[in-house]
Amino acid sequence: MQAIRKQGVAAQPDASGVPALSIRDLSVSFGAPSAGGLTVLDHINIDVRDGEFLCIVGSSGSGKTTLLRVLAGLFRPTQGEVLFNGQPIAGPSRDRAIIFQDYSKALLPWRTVRGNVALSLEARGIPAGQQDAVIDELLAKMGLRAAKDKFPGQLSGGMQQRVQIARCLAQEPKILLMDEPFGALDAMTRQALQDEILQLAAEKQTTVVFITHDLEEAIYLGDRVAVIGGAPARIVEMIDVDLPRPRNQLTTRENSHFLAHRHRLFELLTRHQSAQHGGIGIASRNGGNG
Amino acid sequence: MKQFALARLAPLAFALTLIGLWQLLADLNLISPIFFPSPARAFAVLEYRLADGSLWGSLAGTSLRMVFGWLLASIAGVILGAAIGSSRLTRDLLDPTLEFIRPLPASAVIPVAILFLGLSNAMSLTVIAFGAIWPVLLASVHGFSTVQHELSDVSNVLGFGRRQFLQKIALPSALPDIIAGLRVSLAIALILTVVTEMQSSLPGLGWDIFFAQRSYRSADLYAGLILLAALGFTANHLILLLERRALRWRTLRT
Repeated sequence: MQAIRKQGVAAQPDASGVPALSIRDLSVSFGAPSAGGLTVLDHINIDVRDGEFLCIVGSSGSGKTTLLRVLAGLFRPTQGEVLFNGQPIAGPSRDRAIIFQDYSKALLPWRTVRGNVALSLEARGIPAGQQDAVIDELLAKMGLRAAKDKFPGQLSGGMQQRVQIARCLAQEPKILLMDEPFGALDAMTRQALQDEILQLAAEKQTTVVFITHDLEEAIYLGDRVAVIGGAPARIVEMIDVDLPRPRNQLTTRENSHFLAHRHRLFELLTRHQSAQHGGIGIASRNGGNG
Repeated sequence: MKQFALARLAPLAFALTLIGLWQLLADLNLISPIFFPSPARAFAVLEYRLADGSLWGSLAGTSLRMVFGWLLASIAGVILGAAIGSSRLTRDLLDPTLEFIRPLPASAVIPVAILFLGLSNAMSLTVIAFGAIWPVLLASVHGFSTVQHELSDVSNVLGFGRRQFLQKIALPSALPDIIAGLRVSLAIALILTVVTEMQSSLPGLGWDIFFAQRSYRSADLYAGLILLAALGFTANHLILLLERRALRWRTLRT
């Protein structure tokens, strides 16, 4: 079902040397520091390897979304920089697609499923006559063929999120930036989409930065898991996930390494939460998967 | 099915009852027929003047003034609304002036318009456009300034320029607000059409009813009123039809 990919050696340094994304000494503050400005992210350093699936976990309000917006080029950091394939990020680019948690706000409600996917092709300057083939292929891949002429408001949450993913794939990005994309979905739909995104990423060797507050989701999906915590948020821990691919919703989650990682991440997050203001982590509003 | 038929018939019965009451009042002769005609007379005059063609010119004049004045207001309102709603800079620049002009009653502008443009259609259109622009302008400002920020992000990531953003994202996103504004503007356009016709004897229904009143032809006056109401009713329904077509996606829900 899934192409063989990196065979669990994701933790080794990239042979080519240039990371897909290099986050260097990144800090973000709102308002002037002299005037009691709020620092959200504090000296973050991460190298995201080419083709890697990196998950970032942290509690709500820990600055995860801000970090992702910086990576997309939608937000300028107060300090530090992000290199994309060795070049500093100056602004947003089609190479870095962003997938929002709130699909209902990220889709164009007045366009059909087909029209929403076509938006990316229009951006790429693909003539209308040549769009249908690309759209049909993407919709088939995302299981949306029957919904082609429906409006987003007519679809379930899981289907709407698939439309958003299809639209992002249509822009042919080098990196997928995903902001708690499955956080609003029910457990069954979420697991199905987890496997789909793993398969998509493996097929195209796409680099993925995936933000979640669900520990198990992070371990299940990631080659590595970065834990951010504290206020202002820093990288608390970087964990190499030594679980074989392809991952499986049953066997992977029963693997002793999976459970050990879960144990460790849970302790880390609760420790950093009590330092903050309690109560998110694994007992999130989505209840985790376990 | 029976319920449905009843729901359709009840409003019609209500309207017919009102007309019946009107007829009854007129038959009692409490008020002189010179001031208060019976509906039978009003409809008879309406029928006669539609048949001899003398009302069609007035109806056309009023309709054209209303539609063109409204179109002017709509185009200017949407463009101005887009500029103000999607840019902090233009908002800060234009807002104070517009807020000062807005409370001005459109009818108070008529003398100024007459000074510049005389008793002409140009004067009438200017006044209509001035008065009818506000609802569509305010609705457009709201529509353009409340585009979901996720959609602005999507637009930026996809590399859309300002023109593409407005065309593909902001305008369709603001359309529900704009259409609501267009409807209110159309009602105001009809009011001002009638007022300017009365003010400057432009050939139209407004002038007709004004003239009928002055010459004590009350049946003609009421015939004109009935036709004006029908015009407003039709125009409103055309916009509702447009709305249902353009915003089809809103009514299709699971």
